[in-house]
Amino acid sequence: MNIPVRPPEGENRRAWPADVDAAVPYWVYTDPAIYAEELQKIWYAPHWLYVGLECELAEVGDWKTTTLGEKPCVMVRSGEDEISVVENRCAHKGVKFCQTRTGHSKELICPYHQWSYALNGDLQGVPFRRGVKRQGGMPSDFDPKDHSLNKLRVEVVNGVVWATFSDETPPFREYLGEKFWKHYTRVYDGRKLEVLGYNRQHIPANWKQMQENIKDPYHAGLLHVFFATFGLFRADQKSAVDIDDEGRHGILISRKGEQEKTEAMADIRNFQGDLVLEDPRVMDVVQEFPGEETVGMITIFPSVILQQQVNSLTTRQIVPKGPGGFDFHWTHWCYADDTPEMRLRRTRQANLFGPAGFVSADDGEVLEMTQQGAAGSPDEHFILQMGGREIAPTDHQVTETAVRGMYRYWRKVMGL
Amino acid sequence: MIIARDEIRDLYDAYYGVLDDVDLHAWPDFFTEDCLYRVIPRENHEAGYTLCTMQAESRGMLKDRVTGLTRTQMYAPRYYRRFPTAPRVTAQDEASVSVRHNLLVVQTLVDKQSDIILSAVCHDRIVRDGDRLRFVERVVVFDSEMIPNSLVYPA
Ligand code: FES
Ligand SMILES: [Fe+2]
Repeated sequence: MNIPVRPPEGENRRAWPADVDAAVPYWVYTDPAIYAEELQKIWYAPHWLYVGLECELAEVGDWKTTTLGEKPCVMVRSGEDEISVVENRCAHKGVKFCQTRTGHSKELICPYHQWSYALNGDLQGVPFRRGVKRQGGMPSDFDPKDHSLNKLRVEVVNGVVWATFSDETPPFREYLGEKFWKHYTRVYDGRKLEVLGYNRQHIPANWKQMQENIKDPYHAGLLHVFFATFGLFRADQKSAVDIDDEGRHGILISRKGEQEKTEAMADIRNFQGDLVLEDPRVMDVVQEFPGEETVGMITIFPSVILQQQVNSLTTRQIVPKGPGGFDFHWTHWCYADDTPEMRLRRTRQANLFGPAGFVSADDGEVLEMTQQGAAGSPDEHFILQMGGREIAPTDHQVTETAVRGMYRYWRKVMGL
Repeated sequence: MIIARDEIRDLYDAYYGVLDDVDLHAWPDFFTEDCLYRVIPRENHEAGYTLCTMQAESRGMLKDRVTGLTRTQMYAPRYYRRFPTAPRVTAQDEASVSVRHNLLVVQTLVDKQSDIILSAVCHDRIVRDGDRLRFVERVVVFDSEMIPNSLVYPA
């Protein structure tokens, strides 16, 4: 039995499986109308979106371009202690005026008719506004104040810049909730951050799949033979899944074990017990955060994954590109006071992540394969029964609870 | 160091031949024991960041890359074909020859049109190591801003 979630007739006829929390129809990945609604109800709605790291803008006038939802935006250091995020779309005719990834300027100028904006987005200059030789010019009711760039609300939280299109978004800390504030500040603890470098890839899969992937600890020790083999993430290790009260954010917590054959291995077909690294420096891991956990993978809905996997720290920004794909922007970072050895260690461990990562490449591949399977059967559904049907934190990783949580929240905001 | 152009051409012919044939186990041997191998986004390279998409600091790490790829990674089947331009010697000293050339790597997935996965310039340093030439350093700086999903095989 399916439950209609749209008028039963007509183009948008859609149904949700009766097993509401533990089944999801594939059209959530493929339907252009659903995708268009997601942009409005999720990306441009009361949610905080990841923009970048504060340390990417050292001086007043430094800026960096990015995309939030599908809208090009610029993050600018508009004052000593002020970061602005504005839409990268000229108020005159829509030109995306900043074209490079980064830049520095005293004001933002559109190349088309040279309108100029202050760093905070205020319109300052309109050439020939008063005409030339009393000819032309803007009408007398033209008020520059009505034509600033669209300004987003911004919060800079322990080195990370967040922005939202909505006036109704609660303060960032409230948006996370107290539990996730704790998870967040475990790594983003107020120390200064520094960029180590970037990786960018386009993954031909629906953007939600990326959120699901990092809310799904079930796959980590199975798909990722590298993880399982070297004990970085495995079903029999002490671990936990936490989700916020809304079900939208998640964290996978685990601790590293050894390369050993255990009972759980019987279910891991590809475990490579005899695999040795010729040069194990890539696995030279040090414990740097309080507690015994070595992994904390946070998904902040909808836009980002905050990765702490051993000593590799990254933000992975999701930029949706239609129902069938998203751009994935990785910022690998370190603490500004890290020793050269620590920086080298983090750089080395990056071999596990990104588009060529021993681990992460698996994810990109399997997400693409999922999209391929889903695309032809939008009205079939996938199941999320691992760990039961509950949506609650667990102290193990044999569960899809956080994925169920996300879809319950998703249905709520989508009104489905 | 005296290395004839022909020898350099032969080295590249063999190197790209091995990679195009996916003879991955023969690949690390093109490098000296202590070597540096990088496939790095242009934006990182220009900013002075050393963070790479693929990196190895020894022949051992190159072998580990092959092990990771062949024994642990999961990926859809694909063909890679590399199109290097002719090598240009940019510097020479007693120890090594520096060579630069452009490289296109084209990827073909089942049922898909061929795609350029990397558009890059290679900064290589070549030495005579025993009876053959080897790379002591190979830095592949790619312009590609958005990798079409995964970069599976080395460049
Ligand atoms: S479009 Fe920007 S000034 Fe005209
Ligand atoms: Fe994964």
